[in-house]
Amino acid sequence: MDTINNHPTDELLVSYSAASLPLSQALCISVHLENCGECSQKFQRLNQVGSELMLQLKPSPPSPGLKDQLLDQLDSITENAETDRHSPGNTSVPRCLHQFIKTGYEDISWNRLSRDIQSYELCRDQNNAKVELLRIRPGGTSNTHTHMGDEYTVILEGSFSDEAGLYHKGDFLLRDASDQHTPVATLDKYCICLAVTEAPIQLTGFFGRLLNPFIRRSYA
Amino acid sequence: MGQKNSSAERIEQLRDCLARVANERDKAAFSTLFDHYAPLLRAYSLVREPGADLIADELAQEVMIRVWLKAGSYNSQLANINTWIFTLARNCRIDYLRRNGRFVSDIDPTEIFNDIEDESPGPFQLTHQSRLEENIRTGLKKLPREQSDILVKVYLEGKSHQQTSEELKLPLGTVKSRVRLAVKKLKVLVER
Repeated sequence: MDTINNHPTDELLVSYSAASLPLSQALCISVHLENCGECSQKFQRLNQVGSELMLQLKPSPPSPGLKDQLLDQLDSITENAETDRHSPGNTSVPRCLHQFIKTGYEDISWNRLSRDIQSYELCRDQNNAKVELLRIRPGGTSNTHTHMGDEYTVILEGSFSDEAGLYHKGDFLLRDASDQHTPVATLDKYCICLAVTEAPIQLTGFFGRLLNPFIRRSYA
Repeated sequence: MGQKNSSAERIEQLRDCLARVANERDKAAFSTLFDHYAPLLRAYSLVREPGADLIADELAQEVMIRVWLKAGSYNSQLANINTWIFTLARNCRIDYLRRNGRFVSDIDPTEIFNDIEDESPGPFQLTHQSRLEENIRTGLKKLPREQSDILVKVYLEGKSHQQTSEELKLPLGTVKSRVRLAVKKLKVLVER
Protein backbone atom coordinates (compact mmCIF):
# COMPACT_ATOMS: atom_id res chain seq x y z
CA MET A 1 0.00 0.00 0.00
CA ASP A 2 2.96 2.36 0.36
CA THR A 3 5.31 4.08 -2.09
CA ILE A 4 3.07 4.04 -5.13
CA ASN A 5 4.16 6.97 -7.26
CA ASN A 6 2.56 6.30 -10.58
CA HIS A 7 -1.21 6.65 -10.78
CA PRO A 8 -3.83 6.77 -13.52
CA THR A 9 -4.75 10.33 -14.49
CA ASP A 10 -7.89 11.85 -13.03
CA GLU A 11 -9.65 11.78 -16.37
CA LEU A 12 -8.89 8.08 -16.74
CA LEU A 13 -10.33 7.42 -13.28
CA VAL A 14 -13.44 9.36 -14.30
CA SER A 15 -13.93 7.09 -17.31
CA TYR A 16 -13.33 4.06 -15.11
CA SER A 17 -15.94 5.20 -12.61
CA ALA A 18 -18.33 5.84 -15.49
CA ALA A 19 -17.50 2.44 -17.02
CA SER A 20 -16.86 4.14 -20.34
CA LEU A 21 -13.46 2.46 -20.79
CA PRO A 22 -12.65 -0.76 -22.63
CA LEU A 23 -12.63 -3.57 -20.06
CA SER A 24 -8.93 -4.29 -20.67
CA GLN A 25 -8.02 -0.78 -19.52
CA ALA A 26 -10.47 -1.06 -16.66
CA LEU A 27 -8.71 -4.26 -15.62
CA CYS A 28 -5.38 -2.42 -15.25
CA ILE A 29 -6.97 0.34 -13.22
CA SER A 30 -8.73 -2.18 -11.03
CA VAL A 31 -5.38 -3.84 -10.20
CA HIS A 32 -3.97 -0.43 -9.34
CA LEU A 33 -6.93 0.39 -7.07
CA GLU A 34 -6.44 -2.84 -5.16
CA ASN A 35 -2.98 -1.54 -4.33
CA CYS A 36 -3.64 2.17 -3.94
CA GLY A 37 -5.80 3.54 -1.14
CA GLU A 38 -5.59 7.07 -2.46
CA CYS A 39 -7.00 6.23 -5.88
CA SER A 40 -9.65 3.98 -4.29
CA GLN A 41 -10.90 6.99 -2.36
CA LYS A 42 -10.95 9.08 -5.49
CA PHE A 43 -12.86 6.32 -7.24
CA GLN A 44 -15.53 6.28 -4.56
CA ARG A 45 -15.94 10.03 -4.79
CA LEU A 46 -16.13 9.87 -8.54
CA ASN A 47 -18.94 7.35 -8.10
CA GLN A 48 -20.71 10.05 -6.08
CA VAL A 49 -20.30 12.43 -9.00
CA GLY A 50 -21.94 9.83 -11.24
CA SER A 51 -24.81 9.37 -8.82
CA GLU A 52 -25.42 13.12 -8.55
CA LEU A 53 -25.51 13.36 -12.33
CA MET A 54 -28.00 10.50 -12.45
CA LEU A 55 -30.21 12.29 -9.90
CA GLN A 56 -30.35 15.33 -12.16
CA LEU A 57 -31.98 13.38 -14.97
CA LYS A 58 -35.66 13.77 -15.65
CA PRO A 59 -37.32 10.67 -14.13
CA SER A 60 -39.08 8.41 -16.61
CA PRO A 61 -42.05 6.41 -15.23
CA PRO A 62 -41.76 2.63 -15.72
CA SER A 63 -44.21 0.71 -17.87
CA PRO A 64 -47.45 -0.08 -16.07
CA GLY A 65 -47.29 -3.44 -14.36
CA LEU A 66 -43.49 -3.57 -14.14
CA LYS A 67 -43.50 -3.17 -10.38
CA ASP A 68 -46.23 -5.73 -9.73
CA GLN A 69 -44.53 -8.20 -11.99
CA LEU A 70 -41.30 -7.73 -10.06
CA LEU A 71 -42.98 -7.93 -6.66
CA ASP A 72 -44.53 -11.27 -7.69
CA GLN A 73 -41.12 -12.61 -8.62
CA LEU A 74 -39.25 -11.55 -5.51
CA ASP A 75 -39.79 -14.75 -3.54
CA SER A 76 -38.42 -16.92 -6.29
CA ILE A 77 -35.28 -14.86 -6.89
CA THR A 78 -32.20 -16.40 -5.40
CA GLU A 79 -28.68 -15.21 -5.36
CA ASN A 80 -27.07 -17.84 -7.55
CA ALA A 81 -24.75 -15.65 -9.58
CA GLU A 82 -23.17 -14.23 -6.47
CA THR A 83 -22.03 -17.56 -5.08
CA ASP A 84 -20.15 -18.19 -8.28
CA ARG A 85 -17.29 -15.89 -7.37
CA HIS A 86 -13.88 -16.80 -8.57
CA SER A 87 -12.20 -18.41 -5.63
CA PRO A 88 -9.25 -16.35 -4.48
CA GLY A 89 -7.32 -19.02 -2.57
CA ASN A 90 -4.32 -17.61 -0.75
CA THR A 91 -2.43 -16.04 -3.58
CA SER A 92 -1.13 -12.56 -4.15
CA VAL A 93 -2.94 -12.42 -7.47
CA PRO A 94 -5.23 -9.36 -7.55
CA ARG A 95 -8.91 -10.17 -7.20
CA CYS A 96 -9.86 -8.95 -10.66
CA LEU A 97 -7.34 -11.35 -12.25
CA HIS A 98 -8.70 -14.48 -10.55
CA GLN A 99 -10.89 -15.00 -13.59
CA PHE A 100 -7.70 -15.81 -15.52
CA ILE A 101 -5.23 -17.03 -12.91
CA LYS A 102 -6.66 -19.62 -10.57
CA THR A 103 -3.69 -20.36 -8.36
CA GLY A 104 -0.46 -18.41 -8.64
CA TYR A 105 1.98 -17.01 -11.17
CA GLU A 106 4.28 -20.02 -10.83
CA ASP A 107 1.67 -22.42 -12.26
CA ILE A 108 1.33 -20.47 -15.49
CA SER A 109 2.68 -22.02 -18.68
CA TRP A 110 4.78 -19.06 -19.76
CA ASN A 111 5.90 -18.53 -23.35
CA ARG A 112 9.47 -17.57 -23.89
CA LEU A 113 9.80 -14.34 -25.86
CA SER A 114 13.50 -13.76 -25.35
CA ARG A 115 16.29 -14.72 -23.00
CA ASP A 116 14.92 -12.33 -20.41
CA ILE A 117 11.21 -12.21 -21.00
CA GLN A 118 8.28 -14.58 -20.85
CA SER A 119 4.69 -13.81 -21.62
CA TYR A 120 1.27 -15.31 -21.07
CA GLU A 121 -1.70 -14.03 -22.99
CA LEU A 122 -4.83 -13.73 -20.86
CA CYS A 123 -7.29 -12.66 -23.53
CA ARG A 124 -8.14 -10.17 -26.22
CA ASP A 125 -10.41 -7.21 -25.68
CA GLN A 126 -12.47 -5.17 -28.10
CA ASN A 127 -10.36 -3.67 -30.91
CA ASN A 128 -8.15 -6.68 -30.50
CA ALA A 129 -6.21 -5.15 -27.62
CA LYS A 130 -3.91 -7.79 -26.19
CA VAL A 131 -4.08 -8.49 -22.47
CA GLU A 132 -1.06 -10.37 -21.19
CA LEU A 133 1.25 -10.98 -18.31
CA LEU A 134 4.96 -10.33 -18.81
CA ARG A 135 7.65 -11.81 -16.63
CA ILE A 136 11.14 -10.33 -16.75
CA ARG A 137 13.95 -12.20 -15.04
CA PRO A 138 15.99 -10.39 -12.39
CA GLY A 139 18.20 -7.85 -14.11
CA GLY A 140 16.68 -8.76 -17.43
CA THR A 141 15.90 -6.20 -20.06
CA SER A 142 13.68 -5.82 -23.04
CA ASN A 143 14.88 -4.29 -26.25
CA THR A 144 14.34 -0.61 -26.67
CA HIS A 145 10.94 -0.35 -28.17
CA THR A 146 8.16 1.97 -29.13
CA HIS A 147 4.51 1.06 -29.25
CA MET A 148 2.23 0.92 -32.19
CA GLY A 149 -0.67 1.86 -29.92
CA ASP A 150 -1.12 2.85 -26.29
CA GLU A 151 0.28 0.47 -23.73
CA TYR A 152 -1.12 0.18 -20.20
CA THR A 153 1.09 -1.50 -17.63
CA VAL A 154 0.60 -2.23 -13.96
CA ILE A 155 3.20 -4.00 -11.85
CA LEU A 156 2.04 -7.13 -10.05
CA GLU A 157 5.32 -8.31 -8.50
CA GLY A 158 8.86 -7.01 -8.28
CA SER A 159 10.03 -3.79 -9.86
CA PHE A 160 11.65 -2.42 -12.97
CA SER A 161 13.20 0.80 -14.15
CA ASP A 162 13.53 2.64 -17.42
CA GLU A 163 14.82 5.98 -18.63
CA ALA A 164 12.07 7.79 -16.75
CA GLY A 165 12.22 6.14 -13.33
CA LEU A 166 11.84 3.16 -11.01
CA TYR A 167 8.50 1.39 -10.67
CA HIS A 168 7.17 -0.89 -7.97
CA LYS A 169 4.22 -3.14 -7.27
CA GLY A 170 0.96 -1.33 -7.95
CA ASP A 171 2.48 1.38 -10.12
CA PHE A 172 0.38 2.21 -13.17
CA LEU A 173 1.94 3.36 -16.42
CA LEU A 174 0.43 4.56 -19.64
CA ARG A 175 2.76 4.84 -22.59
CA ASP A 176 1.68 6.07 -25.98
CA ALA A 177 3.10 5.41 -29.38
CA SER A 178 5.57 8.26 -29.15
CA ASP A 179 7.32 6.90 -26.04
CA GLN A 180 10.48 4.94 -26.52
CA HIS A 181 11.83 3.11 -23.54
CA THR A 182 14.03 0.29 -22.31
CA PRO A 183 12.64 -1.44 -19.22
CA VAL A 184 15.09 -3.31 -16.97
CA ALA A 185 13.96 -5.49 -14.09
CA THR A 186 15.71 -4.93 -10.78
CA LEU A 187 18.19 -7.54 -9.63
CA ASP A 188 16.42 -8.87 -6.57
CA LYS A 189 13.55 -10.79 -8.14
CA TYR A 190 11.36 -11.51 -11.12
CA CYS A 191 9.19 -8.65 -12.25
CA ILE A 192 5.65 -9.55 -13.31
CA CYS A 193 3.42 -7.02 -15.05
CA LEU A 194 -0.04 -6.91 -16.50
CA ALA A 195 0.20 -5.25 -19.91
CA VAL A 196 -2.52 -4.18 -22.27
CA THR A 197 -1.33 -3.27 -25.72
CA GLU A 198 -3.74 -1.68 -28.09
CA ALA A 199 -3.61 -3.04 -31.57
CA PRO A 200 -1.69 -0.92 -34.04
CA ILE A 201 -4.32 1.27 -35.59
CA GLN A 202 -2.70 1.47 -39.01
CA LEU A 203 -2.30 -2.28 -39.33
CA THR A 204 -5.77 -3.73 -39.03
CA GLY A 205 -6.27 -4.93 -42.60
CA PHE A 206 -5.33 -8.32 -44.00
CA PHE A 207 -1.65 -7.52 -44.34
CA GLY A 208 -1.70 -5.85 -40.98
CA ARG A 209 -2.83 -9.05 -39.36
CA LEU A 210 -0.05 -10.90 -41.12
CA LEU A 211 2.48 -8.40 -39.86
CA ASN A 212 1.19 -8.13 -36.31
CA PRO A 213 2.96 -11.26 -34.99
CA PHE A 214 6.28 -9.78 -36.12
CA ILE A 215 5.54 -6.51 -34.44
CA ARG A 216 4.56 -8.31 -31.26
CA ARG A 217 7.77 -10.29 -31.36
CA SER A 218 9.87 -7.18 -31.66
CA TYR A 219 7.90 -5.51 -28.89
CA ALA A 220 9.18 -7.82 -26.20
CA MET B 1 -33.19 25.50 3.43
CA GLY B 2 -36.57 23.84 3.79
CA GLN B 3 -35.99 21.93 0.60
CA LYS B 4 -32.61 20.77 1.74
CA ASN B 5 -34.10 19.38 4.94
CA SER B 6 -36.82 17.56 3.11
CA SER B 7 -34.31 15.97 0.76
CA ALA B 8 -32.24 14.84 3.75
CA GLU B 9 -35.40 13.40 5.26
CA ARG B 10 -36.17 11.63 2.03
CA ILE B 11 -32.72 10.01 2.02
CA GLU B 12 -33.27 8.98 5.62
CA GLN B 13 -36.57 7.42 4.69
CA LEU B 14 -35.07 5.52 1.74
CA ARG B 15 -32.23 4.23 3.90
CA ASP B 16 -34.81 3.05 6.38
CA CYS B 17 -36.67 1.21 3.63
CA LEU B 18 -33.47 -0.46 2.50
CA ALA B 19 -32.78 -1.61 6.06
CA ARG B 20 -36.29 -3.08 6.27
CA VAL B 21 -35.74 -4.90 2.98
CA ALA B 22 -32.48 -6.28 4.34
CA ASN B 23 -33.73 -7.27 7.77
CA GLU B 24 -37.38 -8.11 7.30
CA ARG B 25 -37.66 -8.81 3.57
CA ASP B 26 -40.31 -6.08 3.64
CA LYS B 27 -42.03 -5.83 0.27
CA ALA B 28 -43.84 -2.58 1.05
CA ALA B 29 -40.47 -0.97 1.78
CA PHE B 30 -39.14 -2.44 -1.45
CA SER B 31 -42.10 -0.97 -3.27
CA THR B 32 -41.22 2.50 -1.93
CA LEU B 33 -37.65 2.08 -3.15
CA PHE B 34 -38.94 0.98 -6.53
CA ASP B 35 -41.19 4.01 -6.85
CA HIS B 36 -38.30 6.32 -6.06
CA TYR B 37 -35.48 4.73 -8.05
CA ALA B 38 -37.04 2.93 -11.02
CA PRO B 39 -37.84 6.20 -12.89
CA LEU B 40 -34.26 7.42 -12.32
CA LEU B 41 -32.81 4.13 -13.46
CA ARG B 42 -34.93 4.25 -16.59
CA ALA B 43 -33.70 7.78 -17.23
CA TYR B 44 -30.10 6.56 -16.81
CA SER B 45 -30.71 3.89 -19.44
CA LEU B 46 -32.59 6.18 -21.83
CA VAL B 47 -29.86 8.79 -21.87
CA ARG B 48 -27.55 6.18 -23.37
CA GLU B 49 -30.17 4.44 -25.50
CA PRO B 50 -32.71 7.10 -26.43
CA GLY B 51 -36.14 5.67 -27.19
CA ALA B 52 -35.25 2.16 -25.99
CA ASP B 53 -38.10 1.74 -23.51
CA LEU B 54 -37.83 -2.00 -23.11
CA ILE B 55 -34.14 -1.84 -22.36
CA ALA B 56 -34.85 0.89 -19.83
CA ASP B 57 -37.44 -1.27 -18.09
CA GLU B 58 -35.06 -4.19 -18.13
CA LEU B 59 -32.25 -2.20 -16.55
CA ALA B 60 -34.55 -0.79 -13.86
CA GLN B 61 -35.81 -4.28 -13.10
CA GLU B 62 -32.33 -5.79 -13.04
CA VAL B 63 -31.02 -3.13 -10.65
CA MET B 64 -34.03 -3.46 -8.35
CA ILE B 65 -33.50 -7.24 -8.22
CA ARG B 66 -29.95 -6.58 -7.08
CA VAL B 67 -31.27 -4.15 -4.48
CA TRP B 68 -33.50 -6.94 -3.17
CA LEU B 69 -30.63 -9.45 -3.12
CA LYS B 70 -27.87 -7.19 -1.85
CA ALA B 71 -29.72 -4.91 0.56
CA GLY B 72 -27.95 -6.64 3.44
CA SER B 73 -24.52 -5.69 2.17
CA TYR B 74 -25.25 -1.97 1.95
CA ASN B 75 -23.33 -0.06 4.58
CA SER B 76 -24.58 3.47 5.13
CA GLN B 77 -21.28 4.36 6.82
CA LEU B 78 -19.45 3.86 3.56
CA ALA B 79 -21.68 5.21 0.88
CA ASN B 80 -24.65 7.35 0.27
CA ILE B 81 -27.61 5.20 -0.82
CA ASN B 82 -27.81 7.09 -4.12
CA THR B 83 -24.18 6.31 -4.84
CA TRP B 84 -24.77 2.66 -4.02
CA ILE B 85 -27.69 2.55 -6.48
CA PHE B 86 -25.58 4.30 -9.12
CA THR B 87 -22.83 1.69 -8.83
CA LEU B 88 -25.39 -1.11 -9.17
CA ALA B 89 -26.85 0.62 -12.24
CA ARG B 90 -23.43 1.07 -13.81
CA ASN B 91 -22.55 -2.58 -13.24
CA CYS B 92 -25.89 -3.73 -14.69
CA ARG B 93 -25.28 -1.56 -17.73
CA ILE B 94 -21.90 -3.21 -18.37
CA ASP B 95 -23.42 -6.67 -17.93
CA TYR B 96 -26.16 -5.79 -20.35
CA LEU B 97 -23.77 -4.44 -23.00
CA ARG B 98 -21.62 -7.52 -22.67
CA ARG B 99 -24.54 -9.98 -22.81
CA ASN B 100 -25.74 -8.35 -25.97
CA GLY B 101 -22.41 -8.42 -27.71
CA ARG B 102 -21.93 -4.67 -27.58
CA PHE B 103 -18.75 -5.07 -25.56
CA VAL B 104 -16.89 -7.76 -27.42
CA SER B 105 -14.54 -8.89 -24.73
CA ASP B 106 -13.31 -12.02 -23.00
CA ILE B 107 -13.09 -10.14 -19.75
CA ASP B 108 -15.65 -10.75 -17.04
CA PRO B 109 -16.46 -7.33 -15.56
CA THR B 110 -17.89 -8.72 -12.33
CA GLU B 111 -14.64 -8.49 -10.43
CA ILE B 112 -13.42 -5.30 -12.06
CA PHE B 113 -15.80 -2.79 -10.60
CA ASN B 114 -15.50 -3.78 -7.00
CA ASP B 115 -18.68 -3.38 -5.07
CA ILE B 116 -18.43 -0.30 -3.01
CA GLU B 117 -19.46 -2.11 0.16
CA ASP B 118 -16.34 -4.25 0.00
CA GLU B 119 -14.06 -1.32 0.50
CA SER B 120 -13.04 -0.22 3.95
CA PRO B 121 -13.31 3.47 4.68
CA GLY B 122 -10.40 5.61 5.71
CA PRO B 123 -11.00 7.86 8.72
CA PHE B 124 -10.76 10.81 6.38
CA GLN B 125 -13.62 9.52 4.35
CA LEU B 126 -15.96 8.95 7.26
CA THR B 127 -15.54 12.36 8.83
CA HIS B 128 -15.71 14.26 5.59
CA GLN B 129 -18.31 12.22 3.80
CA SER B 130 -21.24 14.59 4.10
CA ARG B 131 -19.16 17.66 3.34
CA LEU B 132 -17.85 15.99 0.20
CA GLU B 133 -21.34 15.12 -0.92
CA GLU B 134 -22.37 18.72 -0.45
CA ASN B 135 -19.30 19.93 -2.38
CA ILE B 136 -20.13 17.69 -5.28
CA ARG B 137 -23.81 18.63 -5.33
CA THR B 138 -23.30 22.38 -5.24
CA GLY B 139 -20.19 22.15 -7.40
CA LEU B 140 -22.07 20.43 -10.22
CA LYS B 141 -24.59 23.26 -10.29
CA LYS B 142 -21.83 25.83 -10.64
CA LEU B 143 -19.81 24.09 -13.34
CA PRO B 144 -19.62 25.89 -16.67
CA ARG B 145 -21.88 24.23 -19.21
CA GLU B 146 -18.93 23.14 -21.38
CA GLN B 147 -17.58 21.07 -18.49
CA SER B 148 -20.82 19.61 -17.21
CA ASP B 149 -21.86 18.59 -20.73
CA ILE B 150 -18.74 16.51 -21.00
CA LEU B 151 -19.32 14.85 -17.64
CA VAL B 152 -22.83 13.93 -18.80
CA LYS B 153 -21.45 12.37 -21.96
CA VAL B 154 -18.89 10.33 -20.09
CA TYR B 155 -20.91 9.30 -17.02
CA LEU B 156 -24.42 8.98 -18.38
CA GLU B 157 -24.09 8.37 -22.10
CA GLY B 158 -21.09 6.10 -21.48
CA LYS B 159 -18.96 7.81 -24.11
CA SER B 160 -15.19 7.47 -24.28
CA HIS B 161 -13.06 10.61 -24.45
CA GLN B 162 -12.51 9.87 -28.12
CA GLN B 163 -16.24 9.58 -28.87
CA THR B 164 -16.91 12.73 -26.87
CA SER B 165 -14.30 14.61 -28.83
CA GLU B 166 -15.81 13.46 -32.13
CA GLU B 167 -19.37 14.33 -31.12
CA LEU B 168 -18.54 17.75 -29.76
CA LYS B 169 -15.96 18.42 -32.48
CA LEU B 170 -13.32 19.24 -29.90
CA PRO B 171 -9.70 18.14 -29.81
CA LEU B 172 -9.14 15.09 -27.58
CA GLY B 173 -6.80 17.10 -25.35
CA THR B 174 -9.54 19.65 -24.73
CA VAL B 175 -11.98 16.95 -23.67
CA LYS B 176 -9.47 15.52 -21.23
CA SER B 177 -8.55 18.87 -19.76
CA ARG B 178 -12.21 19.80 -19.28
CA VAL B 179 -12.84 16.55 -17.42
CA ARG B 180 -9.79 17.27 -15.29
CA LEU B 181 -10.89 20.82 -14.56
CA ALA B 182 -14.40 19.70 -13.71
CA VAL B 183 -13.33 17.14 -11.11
CA LYS B 184 -10.90 19.64 -9.68
CA LYS B 185 -13.71 22.13 -9.16
CA LEU B 186 -15.86 19.48 -7.53
CA LYS B 187 -13.09 19.06 -4.95
CA VAL B 188 -13.30 15.33 -5.41
CA LEU B 189 -9.60 14.81 -5.22
CA VAL B 190 -7.47 14.09 -2.23
CA GLU B 191 -5.10 16.91 -1.41
CA ARG B 192 -1.57 15.66 -1.72
